Amino acid sequence: MNAAVSTGGRRWLWVTFWILTFFLYAPLVILVIFSFNDREFVSFPWEGFTFRWYQTFLDNDEIFKSLRISLLVASVTAVVTAVLAIPASIALVRRRFFAKSLVSGMMLAPLVIPLVVLGISLLILFNTIGIEASPLTVVIGHVVIALPFAILTLVPRLERIPVSLEEASRDLGANWLTTFRQITFPLMAPALFSAFLLSFVISFDEVVVASFVAEDATFPVYLLSQLRLPRQLPQVIAVAVVILVISAIIVIAAEVLRRVSDRRLESLTTVQEEEVAVT
Amino acid sequence: MTEAGVAISIQGVHKSFGDVRAVDGISLDIAEGEFITLLGPSGCGKTTTMRMVAGFEEPDAGSILLRGADVVGVPPNKREVNMCFQHYALFPHMDVEKNIEYGLKLKKVPKGDRQKIVGEMLEIVGLAGMQARKPGQLSGGQQQRVALARALVNQPAALLLDEPLGALDVKLRKQMQLELKRIQHELNTTFVYVTHDQDEALSMSDRIAVMNQGVIEQLGAPREVYEQPATPFVADFVGVLNAMDVRVDEVAGEDLVMKVNERDRIVVPVGPTGTDAGVGSSLLVAVRPERVNLGAGEAALNGGSRLSGTVRQVVYLGTLTQFYVDTSIGKRLIVHHLSDDRSSTVNEGDEVVLTWARDDAAVLSGS
Repeated sequence: MNAAVSTGGRRWLWVTFWILTFFLYAPLVILVIFSFNDREFVSFPWEGFTFRWYQTFLDNDEIFKSLRISLLVASVTAVVTAVLAIPASIALVRRRFFAKSLVSGMMLAPLVIPLVVLGISLLILFNTIGIEASPLTVVIGHVVIALPFAILTLVPRLERIPVSLEEASRDLGANWLTTFRQITFPLMAPALFSAFLLSFVISFDEVVVASFVAEDATFPVYLLSQLRLPRQLPQVIAVAVVILVISAIIVIAAEVLRRVSDRRLESLTTVQEEEVAVT
Repeated sequence: MTEAGVAISIQGVHKSFGDVRAVDGISLDIAEGEFITLLGPSGCGKTTTMRMVAGFEEPDAGSILLRGADVVGVPPNKREVNMCFQHYALFPHMDVEKNIEYGLKLKKVPKGDRQKIVGEMLEIVGLAGMQARKPGQLSGGQQQRVALARALVNQPAALLLDEPLGALDVKLRKQMQLELKRIQHELNTTFVYVTHDQDEALSMSDRIAVMNQGVIEQLGAPREVYEQPATPFVADFVGVLNAMDVRVDEVAGEDLVMKVNERDRIVVPVGPTGTDAGVGSSLLVAVRPERVNLGAGEAALNGGSRLSGTVRQVVYLGTLTQFYVDTSIGKRLIVHHLSDDRSSTVNEGDEVVLTWARDDAAVLSGS
């Protein structure tokens, strides 16, 4: 691969890489630094190390209330999305049906609809049919947003599971439910786990739709509302650092887990490819 | 049609995919314990036929009987046949034992019995003690054996094999052919084998159904299919073919004779196909390359055919040497000769005489 890139090109790649890395991670580093800065305003100079901001946010009930709502909404969203994404992706990969591309287009449409539009239309819909704003309405909105991502995570995995495995299971006497439980589900589990995490994170991060349809503020909606008050800013930053660390741990753990379990399917496919290469 | 000893009876089955008629009227009775091969090029309907027997496709018309019971509409998990898939389709997340006992578990066979049966089956397929391996740790040949064990462990009315050796290298393939035949004998199970490989079909089968464009062109024992091909397609697909257009010049008793020149002539028997060809009619005649004798000068005729010609090309194939000979009828014929002292003295450009016995020529079609 290196051979294809000239020396000048390689230098360019190197510079671009570090510029991107800088803009990606410098803000995070600054955030961490300021969260320990003993100063009312989020700026230099450094006026000493403090845990003050962490202390104030630990004492702030409203933050914890919004955090609880967000965790609840994100968990329910992730479960519902993952459960809905399974039949949707199986239908898209395994079945042939009328107007399939239209159906798949409709399922993936939320990807390109602006969130503001989605938020307003959901609000109007809920008002029209008389559903009160609650964590449930936020869940509904978030499932709509997360479902395409979950489907797009599952589809490539399903495509790599040979249909013949499911046929073999049927042939050996299993009905479709047993076949799903014993064969399809275990083999798609890593992707399902990714879809679950992705949906969780999407929901946990989401501000726009939540600000339209939520009764009580979710965590990111609360944080955004606090930014109007400069005094609150340092503790908001402290919260952000905590969330940052927790998400980093989750994402790394998930990736490790996925790689380990991915080898199961990998090992079989490579052996078969080698055999074919021999003949 | 519940005649005893018939494992599978396929009766007038049709199947189309859109505009494509994959199977266009097939009827076939397969006896218990028989090794039958569906042989044909890709797209001839052989795999579709097998998948209809397994239950993965439903016929548009006709019926399929398993041990006398109509199974059309019965889902694959309720059919007493098992299948060996082209790429084995072993469950990658289960070890060898779990793979093999899959069907037994579904039948609620107790754990102790399952272990015993799996052990015995591994013995039969030559993988004793491999229970704990994962499919990914096995070679292609070993995976093939596990797939075989997994299907056979359920004691199916018939085992369906879909080009099971296609992914193996040549040497392993030959070895597995013998193994398959041995296992089939040992368990006395009906095998329905799908392949496009004529060598596999000829070496293993009790009977071969040669298929083309959704129909069976010929059904018969390997020797019959090879030596008395019923149609030009069969003759061409099974083995190398020398086909000649022959104009009948003379009818001598049971012989139809074409006089090429003073000495050269082609003789074919009137034959069981009942070719009522008289003088002046033309026939399509085939002779196998290995039935043609390669002589240098005058060769004995004994009422057979004789053509003189010039060797155009010599191809050394190991056991055999292949000669391309331009003959006096203006047709290039292929001759196979054992690679012995005789064949090594024939070179390109040599004048030779080709002869073959009267009964070695088959009439494919007449008009």
